[in-house]
Amino acid sequence: MKTAVYFCTCGTNISDRIDAEEVKQALKSAGEDCSFTVGPFLCSEEGQEFLQEDLARLKPERVVIAACSPREHETTFQGVMAEAGLNPYLFQMVNIREHIAWVTADKEQAVHKTILALNTALKRVVLHQPLERLTLEISPAVLVIGAGPAGLKAATALAEAGREVILVEKSPVIGGLPVLCEDLFPELECGSCLLEPVMGDILHGRHAEKIELLTMAELQEVTGFIGNFTVTIRQRPRYVDPHRCIGCGECFEPCPISGPNPFNGGLDDKKAIAFPFFGGLPSVPYIDPDLCLRFTEGSACRLCSDACPMGADIIDHNHQEQIISRQVGAIVLAIGASLYDCRQFANLGYGRLPEVRTALEFERMLAANGPTGGDIVTTKGEPPGSVAFIHCVGSLDDQHQPYCSGICCQLAFKFNHLLAEKLPEAEVHHLFREVVCPGKEGLALYQAARHNPQSFFHRYEQLPDLAVNTGENGRQMVSMLGKEAITADLVVLCPAVIPAADTLKLGTALDLGLDRFGFFDAEHSRLDPARSKLRGIYLAGTCQSPADIRDSVNQGMAASGYILSELVSGQKISLDPLFASVQADKCSGCRICNGVCPYRAISFDAEKGVSEINPHLCRGCGTCAAACPMGAIAANHFSKEMIMAEIEGVLK
Amino acid sequence: MADKPKLAMYWAASCGGCEIAVVNLHEKILDLDAAFDFFFCPCLLDTKISTIEALPDQEIAVTFFNGAIRTAENEEMARLLRRKSRLLIAFGTCATEGSIPGLANLSTREELLRTVYLDNPTIDNPEGILPLPSSEVAGGTLQLPVFYDRVLPLKQVVTVDYFIPGCPPEAHQIWNVVAAVAAGQPLPPPGSTLGAGQLSVCHECSRRKGEKKIARFYRTSEITPEPDICLLEQGLLCMGIATRDGCGAPCPQANMPCSGCYGPPAGVADQGAAMIAALGSILDPGDCRGKSEAEIAGQLAALLDTIPDYAGTFYKYSLAGSILGGRVKS
Repeated sequence: MKTAVYFCTCGTNISDRIDAEEVKQALKSAGEDCSFTVGPFLCSEEGQEFLQEDLARLKPERVVIAACSPREHETTFQGVMAEAGLNPYLFQMVNIREHIAWVTADKEQAVHKTILALNTALKRVVLHQPLERLTLEISPAVLVIGAGPAGLKAATALAEAGREVILVEKSPVIGGLPVLCEDLFPELECGSCLLEPVMGDILHGRHAEKIELLTMAELQEVTGFIGNFTVTIRQRPRYVDPHRCIGCGECFEPCPISGPNPFNGGLDDKKAIAFPFFGGLPSVPYIDPDLCLRFTEGSACRLCSDACPMGADIIDHNHQEQIISRQVGAIVLAIGASLYDCRQFANLGYGRLPEVRTALEFERMLAANGPTGGDIVTTKGEPPGSVAFIHCVGSLDDQHQPYCSGICCQLAFKFNHLLAEKLPEAEVHHLFREVVCPGKEGLALYQAARHNPQSFFHRYEQLPDLAVNTGENGRQMVSMLGKEAITADLVVLCPAVIPAADTLKLGTALDLGLDRFGFFDAEHSRLDPARSKLRGIYLAGTCQSPADIRDSVNQGMAASGYILSELVSGQKISLDPLFASVQADKCSGCRICNGVCPYRAISFDAEKGVSEINPHLCRGCGTCAAACPMGAIAANHFSKEMIMAEIEGVLK
Repeated sequence: MADKPKLAMYWAASCGGCEIAVVNLHEKILDLDAAFDFFFCPCLLDTKISTIEALPDQEIAVTFFNGAIRTAENEEMARLLRRKSRLLIAFGTCATEGSIPGLANLSTREELLRTVYLDNPTIDNPEGILPLPSSEVAGGTLQLPVFYDRVLPLKQVVTVDYFIPGCPPEAHQIWNVVAAVAAGQPLPPPGSTLGAGQLSVCHECSRRKGEKKIARFYRTSEITPEPDICLLEQGLLCMGIATRDGCGAPCPQANMPCSGCYGPPAGVADQGAAMIAALGSILDPGDCRGKSEAEIAGQLAALLDTIPDYAGTFYKYSLAGSILGGRVKS
């Protein structure tokens, strides 16, 4: 077989250490049937031109290029081969620059290593098969799950680019956590005002007709693969027609039943038919079937419906759950995060002492549309004379969450600032393990808190050193190991940001890996944080890592960027042919391989009794090939024979 | 009788089970006798070696050679029968892979002799006498075959034409081969495996297979497996996934995990390595999120502790024929 070997000197990067002539002679005396050509800069324009002409002239059956890392110029040379009319997979690149020249001082040794490396390539390249890239039709529509900042940005960006978007939100309102906040760090903007333009776009903007918003809905099932997902969505009944309701709220008053409002941390009650909170969008109430007497007692009550000025059929208690099926090409997961359960810390009193609150409950207390109308009060309705914020609840702690959530300090110092405005007399205590306020604006609120004469800072070693109890005077006593106890009327816990409960559920449904903390695992945590390990599934916002709004919306935009570049509407996608396949006549159907694929590319054909690999999903990692006890799975370009040939080559 | 082709069967390092497997042909053994001159089988017949030696080369049509090569005598007989046979067939997994005798390759020759002749509690050998190739006694010199350092499969000593795996080979498969040879049917290329399948035992096992995740293993005495579900999925160390089929999967159908006696499947060089690689892909050490390396290692160790004997499980039949061939001295 005629193999052409090209040796790139890379200027002097390679030739300083490796003598091409010696390598040539060694190959010749070993009787290798190959041509050997030395070039100065094969990757340069002239180098590529030379290579293309030489290949077109020689018409070799296989090509080996000894040069830099394949990560740098493999695709360059494959392109040249294609231009010269050769199949670009009948090619093997040998990295003699990083692997040999740069790390081998001894010239003789460098030549020896080069000969072995070339040997491996020559032995393997004869086994190469010509491969063709795969092409695949796509659906350009996108499913976005979660309508918080990340999901909203992704949805609007995709809709603006002309894509159909199905935006699925679990709760009755969109906007995620920020819309529950009156003031957001670092610049104290109002949360719903900040997101209002984006939410407005989604509901009524120029591209709103591109976006199908499904509130109170959850993803139930996904089948298929990039460009061709079939998604099944389960939508709970709202019992109110979202298109005809004008959000006047006339139906609330007559409703005879109320219960704790989960959107206000149970600090107040809401009616069975109500908005989650005023100002929430879409401005359509919903009926909570766990409260409404028609569902709890089977009563015939229709007071809400009777009160509706828009018509008797706007509120319909007969609405049923909807199962909605859609075809999409990509999925953005933007399901957000959750907060650590403060009940895990009995010593901090949450759930036991009524004056101990979480940061989110305190946030609602600060909000004008919250349970206290924006007043900071104890359960007795009095303004507190002293408030203690306990930072790092559940974070920086190997027994709980080992990481720093990165947002709680700024949140607590924002509270400090708002307290100084609303209750300038009140003492503010910060109990922290570490203070972390990264970013160019991160320190501003911390410095303001430091300058607040009513602020007191206390560093504690570990949470078990703290204890919150009610003192004799009825106020809360926060004791610290080795320090004087603090008196506080209100204690606010700042819990770690943790994966949402649905992360595991969705991860299991999609076969998507989770990282060691339980967040969705990114393709690469730094280079590709918005891409999951599964093709066509993207990650945005806090479902991938604790993040602030800025990082979340950036990730939403990043996800839409990936989709717009990877799934171009009207274009087929082109996939690398380095996939694995099952040799059906060698497969015994033991199904060992079925669960090992990180890309869900393997399925089982029960009729034929054999496993199959979907080449559109496979990324050629080889995990299944290693697992198969029959040796029935081979990856293109990485067959056992090729690997053995390489080993033989290097041992020669 | 003289015009019938000659059939020989010999045992080297083996247990005699292969001969019993031939007897298990039941009444078909009469058909075998009708087709062949079954003239040499130390277990059943009293033919002398000198008779074999006196035969012209290639006089024997087929030799079923069972047992591994443990001693110089085993090798001598292998060479003799090779010379005298037109077809030399490695019969049974001792001959094809070393099988149970091959597990001796986990110990040195010295360790084996010490255990057998000196250290075992039932040994009464006050003078510490060990077998020697040659011993001077009152009546002259006594000779014993040399005990080799390692057990070898037959193919490492002589050229083998075909391989019939199994410990022992199933009777119906023996008959398939005997009938084919007797009928003069064309055989596959030399070096092929006869009397077995091309897939793994799973192919013949009717238990329902699903995706596999194994959180712990059980000994067969510890659980009663569900009748219709893959034994491996139930935590029984079934070697069926990495074992050649052809046996008809009688063990897993009878609630016993496959112990791997048909050796590696076609195209698989190392049965134990294939099994370990497969298991490594499906072991489930539990939730590792947020745990330290030491904790994860602990969880894995706890899972692996439920496997009683690695070499004796994964290489029970194929150690001598595997890539390493046994314990390698460091």
